[in-house]
Amino acid sequence: MRRIFAMAAACIALQGCANLGVQPWEREVLARDDMQLDANALDTAFDDHIYFSKEGTSGGRGFGGGGCGCN
Amino acid sequence: MGGPCEVLAEVAEEPTARKIVEAVAACAWRIEDKFSRYRGDNIVARINASAGAPVEVDEETANLLDFAALMHRLSDGLFDITSGVLRRAWTFDGGNRIPSRADIDALLPLVGWSKLTWERPVLTLRPGMQIDFGGIGKEYAVDQAITLLGQLDSAAVLVNFGGDLAVTRARDGGRPWRVGIESIDAKAGVLHAARLVDLAAGALATSGGTYRFVESRGVRLPHILDPRDGRPVSDAPRSVTVAAPSCTNAGMLTTLAMLRGRDAEQFLQNEGVRHWVQRL
Amino acid sequence: MADKDLRIGAALAAATCSLLGTATPGASIAADAAAKWDIDSAFLYYGESDDRVRDLSLSAHATRDFGDERTLGLELSVDSLTGASPSGAMATGGPQTFTSPSGRDTYSTPAGEIPLDDTFLDTRFALDGSWSQPFARLYTVNAGLGFSSEYDYQHIGANLGLTRDFNLRNTTLSAALAYAQDTIKPVGGLPLPFAQMTDAVGEDQSPGSRGDSSDDKTVFDVLLGVSQVLGRNTVMRVNFSYSDSSGYLTDPYKILSVVDPVTGDLIGRTPAPGASGPTGVYRFESRPDSRSKQALYAELRHDFSGKVLQLGYRYSTDDWDVDSHTLESRLRLPFGGSSYFEPHVRYYQQTAASFYRYSLANGTLPEFASADARLADMSAFTVGLKYGHATAGGNEWNARLEFYRQTAKAPNEVLIGNQIGHTQMPDFDAVILQFGYHFKL
Repeated sequence: MRRIFAMAAACIALQGCANLGVQPWEREVLARDDMQLDANALDTAFDDHIYFSKEGTSGGRGFGGGGCGCN
Repeated sequence: MGGPCEVLAEVAEEPTARKIVEAVAACAWRIEDKFSRYRGDNIVARINASAGAPVEVDEETANLLDFAALMHRLSDGLFDITSGVLRRAWTFDGGNRIPSRADIDALLPLVGWSKLTWERPVLTLRPGMQIDFGGIGKEYAVDQAITLLGQLDSAAVLVNFGGDLAVTRARDGGRPWRVGIESIDAKAGVLHAARLVDLAAGALATSGGTYRFVESRGVRLPHILDPRDGRPVSDAPRSVTVAAPSCTNAGMLTTLAMLRGRDAEQFLQNEGVRHWVQRL
Repeated sequence: MADKDLRIGAALAAATCSLLGTATPGASIAADAAAKWDIDSAFLYYGESDDRVRDLSLSAHATRDFGDERTLGLELSVDSLTGASPSGAMATGGPQTFTSPSGRDTYSTPAGEIPLDDTFLDTRFALDGSWSQPFARLYTVNAGLGFSSEYDYQHIGANLGLTRDFNLRNTTLSAALAYAQDTIKPVGGLPLPFAQMTDAVGEDQSPGSRGDSSDDKTVFDVLLGVSQVLGRNTVMRVNFSYSDSSGYLTDPYKILSVVDPVTGDLIGRTPAPGASGPTGVYRFESRPDSRSKQALYAELRHDFSGKVLQLGYRYSTDDWDVDSHTLESRLRLPFGGSSYFEPHVRYYQQTAASFYRYSLANGTLPEFASADARLADMSAFTVGLKYGHATAGGNEWNARLEFYRQTAKAPNEVLIGNQIGHTQMPDFDAVILQFGYHFKL
């Protein structure tokens, strides 16, 4: 549990650097479909379902679609 | 131009963006200064003060007059740049002051393209007549700006003068520009894009943006006047948007559609153009 | 007013041309009402080596834009699963016979092979709906409902979340809660913990090994996330999640081989006269009735001249002692103007659950035990390639081929006697083939 919090804190500290980011007019690349954090949603949904039924760990990315009699 | 003007340019450097915006702004101001009916020192003012005397016009004005003449003929007299004087009788302030038949009849002799003489390059109005390029000026300005940009830079640019807009080309990667047509039923303070249109080439023009009206016996009469009888067009839509290869083309189609009142959709369908009509 | 059918379009176009002097700017017109539906659909085949599980799946994700950033999401999927998986019993030198889950027949495994449970056929149907809309300036609220059903399992769940933007929308904080209620109704009823597998009977199972016919499982999840723009070309997010499951968490079909505590050999058994049944002593597994998990997930997307690198890492730990690391990466490489290739690799590694056993020593029973390889020390590797092609209309065809290899290990501590050096773990390879079409309406 402590390891998780330490890693989370490190990740968030990295992100929390002041003034990190872009101006609204600098988002042309970030706006592309293939730069969205939920791009490949269908692929990852399939993969998550396969790995959920074949491995011991599931989730972490988000919610949505769950539950099957396989783990 | 009757509304905010904006230029959206897909460029990588600020100097290029600045150059594009300044060129478009200069074009807009030039046309506004030259053809606005609110100025006392331009060709339109000279024509409207001519009191029956012939006026020789420059080539650009002559082109616009030729266009207006053709439009008058193609629309069977519905489109008429001399109809502005009818504004003196009607006050579209939401109240219910309706001009009398006599008030309107007093103005009708001053309305009608056929009553003037246009022999390029000389225009002779009857005393008291006025011409007004408000129905085509804005769209013409958009098209002039686009032509100018074609020679200036190869960037993808969208020019929008108060809702009449055109693009030089599709955005980088072949993606279209996404344009929202505002909903007229603007809920208090919250503007709503009723329709989203993907525009990759050509122009969009919208007519009927500000809904001014007068009320008579419980019926709202919109501010679109039929120049042939001086009365508001019945059953005019609240707004008409048309897509066409040029803004002038699109603008003319929206104006003619509005003037056809309840037959607006039928007219646009016959013309085979992409259109969006909003009614009450 | 009677409308003349005379079209003025051509004359108007010509008039405009001569007014504007030059060739009409934008002589072409391309304007269309923006698409409201965005639909991603795909057909997937999953097949394991050695005639094990095969799955055919059809899935569609549809998003409908209602304007003003209000969005409806719908996800539908249908799976058809067939094949057999390792039952948890260990391979032995001789052939083995087991009673099937229904309790009516038996099935056998040849000598030296890992026993796979009886071949089954199952169809699963799942439907998820979600809604997202702005709540106030900078806030978005989202809610979802999910439902899935197969012949022995039903799931229903709901989730609710909130996001808030900061710093010119460069930073987004999100928080979400989910709650799910599942019902398990296995064929043949729920086995009592560690009940011994008995002979096949023509009618209902003997009450000794079977308890209730169904049970429930409740899952409660909390997700906290931060997504952050790091630059014009880079975005990342970090999620922390906590998940608590309680109820029936055991796999009702999995068993353990009961072995001699010294030699580690399977204890034999003879079915009753006239009956057919297990030729060894096998007991049904038993897992705790609660599981509490925490996970940290971080993902980065970086663009460099049109190529997009995605890197993801997840660390998960729980009170069953299953700790895992997952490292995954995709690289999208545009190709030829309207296509792309996207190689993909994934590495997964987990430690065994505290109650994982290779087999069960005859004698005092532990509190919990399972021989399910999915709870063993295990690692897995995936390598794949996706190809996509955009059509002129802005839609996309794609195909994906992936290879998966899973390797499990039973460390000497869980092995008994002769098992050391002779374990056989149910490792497998699988192939994933997917064809998809992404379009807008």
